[in-house]
Amino acid sequence: MKIKFFNITLTTVALTLLSSFSFHAATNSKFPYREAGLTERQAAAHLISRFTFGATPGQVDEVVSMGLEKWFARELKGEMEENEVNEHLKNYDALTLTNAQVVMQFPRGPLVQKMAIADGALNKDSLSKLDKPEIKARLKEYKKQKGLRDEKELFTQLIGQKIMRAVYGKNQLHEVLTDFWFNHFNVSITKGQCAQFIPAYERDVIRPNVTSNFFDLLIATAQSPAMLLYLDNASSMGEPENIEARANRQPRVRVTRRGIIQRMPVPNRPPQQKKRNAQGLNENYAREIMELHTLGVDGGYTQQDVTEAARVLTGWTVYPLKDGNFENLRKKLDEVGENRLTSQGFVHKGDFLFVPNRHDAKEKNVLGKKFSAGGGYQDGVELLKMLATHPSTAKFISTKLAVRFVSDNPPASLVEKMADTFLKHHGDIKKVLMTMVSAPEFWSAEALRSKTKSPFEYAVSAARVLNADIANPAPFNQWITRMGQQLYSYAAPTGFPDRGQYWINTGSLLNRMNFGLAITSGRINGVKIDLANLNNHHEPESAEAALPVYAKLILPERDLEPTLKRLMPIVATPDVYGKVDKAAIHNTNVVDTLYAHHKLTNRKKQVEKNQQNTHSQFGDNTMLAQVVGIIIGSPEFQRR
Amino acid sequence: MISRRAFLKSGGLAMLSIGVGGVPAFAIRAAHAGKHTGLYKKNKILVCIFQRGAMDGLMAVPPFTDNYFKTARPNLFMNADSKGSLMDLDGRFGLHPGFKSFASLFQSKQLAIVHGMGSPNTTRSHFDAQDYMESGTPFNKGTTSGWLNRAVGLMGHEGSPFRAVSLTTSLPRSLYGDNPSIAISNLADFGLQLRGAKTANLTAQTFEELYDQTSDELLKEAGKESFEAIKLLKQSDIKNYKPDGNANYPNSPLGRALKQIAQLIKMDVGMEVAFAESGGWDTHFNQGTDKGIFARNAEDLSNSIVAFWNDLGAWQDNVTVMTMTEFGRTVKQNGTGGTDHGRASCLFVLGNDVKGGQVHGQVKTLAIENLADGRDLEVTTDFRSIFSEVADRHLQLNDDKILFPDWQGNPIGIMKS
Repeated sequence: MKIKFFNITLTTVALTLLSSFSFHAATNSKFPYREAGLTERQAAAHLISRFTFGATPGQVDEVVSMGLEKWFARELKGEMEENEVNEHLKNYDALTLTNAQVVMQFPRGPLVQKMAIADGALNKDSLSKLDKPEIKARLKEYKKQKGLRDEKELFTQLIGQKIMRAVYGKNQLHEVLTDFWFNHFNVSITKGQCAQFIPAYERDVIRPNVTSNFFDLLIATAQSPAMLLYLDNASSMGEPENIEARANRQPRVRVTRRGIIQRMPVPNRPPQQKKRNAQGLNENYAREIMELHTLGVDGGYTQQDVTEAARVLTGWTVYPLKDGNFENLRKKLDEVGENRLTSQGFVHKGDFLFVPNRHDAKEKNVLGKKFSAGGGYQDGVELLKMLATHPSTAKFISTKLAVRFVSDNPPASLVEKMADTFLKHHGDIKKVLMTMVSAPEFWSAEALRSKTKSPFEYAVSAARVLNADIANPAPFNQWITRMGQQLYSYAAPTGFPDRGQYWINTGSLLNRMNFGLAITSGRINGVKIDLANLNNHHEPESAEAALPVYAKLILPERDLEPTLKRLMPIVATPDVYGKVDKAAIHNTNVVDTLYAHHKLTNRKKQVEKNQQNTHSQFGDNTMLAQVVGIIIGSPEFQRR
Repeated sequence: MISRRAFLKSGGLAMLSIGVGGVPAFAIRAAHAGKHTGLYKKNKILVCIFQRGAMDGLMAVPPFTDNYFKTARPNLFMNADSKGSLMDLDGRFGLHPGFKSFASLFQSKQLAIVHGMGSPNTTRSHFDAQDYMESGTPFNKGTTSGWLNRAVGLMGHEGSPFRAVSLTTSLPRSLYGDNPSIAISNLADFGLQLRGAKTANLTAQTFEELYDQTSDELLKEAGKESFEAIKLLKQSDIKNYKPDGNANYPNSPLGRALKQIAQLIKMDVGMEVAFAESGGWDTHFNQGTDKGIFARNAEDLSNSIVAFWNDLGAWQDNVTVMTMTEFGRTVKQNGTGGTDHGRASCLFVLGNDVKGGQVHGQVKTLAIENLADGRDLEVTTDFRSIFSEVADRHLQLNDDKILFPDWQGNPIGIMKS
């Protein structure tokens, strides 16, 4: 009996050793949190706070029982089924549309008028005679007939899906990274030309690449309609004499000339004549790709490098979509056919098009690298490769990741480790993140709770921890805006600054407190909270007992002492509520004053019900909502 | 900081009931006494408007007689003759028709223009140039505070929580720093939204204590400021605000911001620096001439400022308005009907102690040899010589070592001495 027991034990030990060995091999090593003095639970809470949009009730237990390293590996993979999200998004019909479908279904304002005139629904000559509301009404009718939809609806769905995925998504790290990389390669719906392409930008350009290689992200953004239009590269083209240098070397397909070259000014034509379709070099993208996407502002480039890079990227533009504006152009391209286009040096990938006769074919020199004349499309790819793997880029991207995931001022030693990994593994994002989370700096006391949640992170983390049922994310989004973050609308290519100082000021802070009170008391339309259910319908014995229960749920593994101490006076004076309840029955005027927002009858019923249930010191949950609202609005919950 | 808080306490504010969203007792007493007594004595107020995106100064105030200019901008050039739409300011410079509401203020010599204004740092990045202009240190990225915040610190007398207010959703770089500044996107929403008097006071108190006790300095400071500010605002005045002087504010972010700045000024809450933003100036693409993107932005800016000025009425003597923008745009139009990032631009200063009715600064003819890097309008007036003169003459702040460290320069005579 003894021996057998011993055997079993041995086997178990061996198995444990074996499994832990293979496990270590898979995830490199155990995270060094114990060295930083953290318990496993504290470490789990920290991990969750960094790589999700906030802990859900009981999540610390889940992560601990799974093992922190294994949980992180699963998050890096991001392959869990998203049934819940899909269910929430089943009526969001615009989310799966291609860019071509979007421009057909959600045409921009000026285009609608053009289409209506073309279809005879509006008479061009009568336009000047009709007043604005009349034109508006006719266009509305036209849109209805044609099944055309308002652009706003597209953005409502875009914003809605971001909120739903952040709140209900299983693959949280991928959601967080989608947010991070979108912000890094920011585009904005405030710029009309690129706005329609942003849903596909996030879906097809950012999302699939969030843990891949940095170069993949860089080139995918560089070739996306949203970015090409946001930073104007779509309209940038080489000086005519530089184009001729190449174009003269090979004969052109006639129809291509009509289709594409027709849009470029004939060389030596006096400039006055190129008024409408005038095109030329535009440096905007070239500058921002260096300053904001790769090298960073101190990355060691000059104005000359910007101009030269802009020349390299001339001809990188959007494949014309059948949206009325470019319908004829598109038809011509289709007629020419892919094979002939390719043989002429065109490159067509999805919505991206490289147009050789817009490209500056002369020699360029960027950051000391020579691009010989006639390199064409491939020069652009080489440029992006050089930028993606540049030491300045390694440092810049590592810093930005560390700021997002560790602290507003990450230690140089950590950034260095991450940058080394970035260079060694050619921009492998997974490996950089693994280096970060395996570093002692990630677990240091300075890093813990040091980040201030952005308004989006704050609102979403509240929804997650309260198990909120969001039927309509639009009112929820209005709160995020009010707290200082208008989603998809940061106009500058810098993206939202990722530091607490940017988010926290007097006006925004008051709105954060108001948000806490509003969400818990059911004052946000479309958002339902069930506080009793959150505690598995265990009604706490008393208000005093409820406070720590909910505080622990909402702030797992935090020091609750300061928060509890401040909140206790509220719950410890049920008298206040009792007196109010009694007064409610005797004196309706008092109730009017005190509870102006409540329907009096409801209030009366509630009070009577409460009085019947003498065990319930909790009243009608008003106090519970208030207390939980204060915890959500408290300084502790603003941090992660 | 300590002394300022001490003032608030000794001033009796701390003893007022929290009265969330209510009217401080002091104000009630004043109202009962039937006289208008602000909580703070009337201060001089500087209102700064940042035109984000880099305004094309050469389109705003074009040297329309310059043939080089005409050649560089075949599609964007406008004339001031009978066929053109520019307003002739002085025979050399015109004013873009979008700014036509400025004309009377220019004629009455309250509005001045400084041309060739910019930063000595040649960066053409929006982010950097704004950062430098707002920090006031064009060669030092490491400056943590903004110049307006340092100005607040130099006032030398105690102030209110509303001393520096930005009508933006978040604090601008200009107001970063240790001296208390607040950002308000909408005055009407300012405060704690609580229902029920007893629970409301208890909740407000709890929030105030929680933020007062937190170990997070950022949250702690912002919390203090928030609760002090609530106590000062008279909500009733905000909701029923009627502008004076037939002021017609555009319903735009800038129009709404300036309207609320006017409200704060008239409430005498002790504001001394106000900040607002105007966007959309990054006109790389089809910027238009008398119509189009630039014209719309110009109309919004000038109509908002003029409405604000008319609304101020008797308060005008206390207020100076100054616009600023991070850099100008290329002399030549680009290939897409717009202009790219350049160097110098121009700015507007409005006030009764301004030497108005003139275009200050130097603008050489736009021959290529006169251009910065052979392409851009040269910076002939460092933005700091304008900012420091305005701060000195209007706010009596003359410690340039603190306001603009590493800078030595002279005023350009834009303010009456």
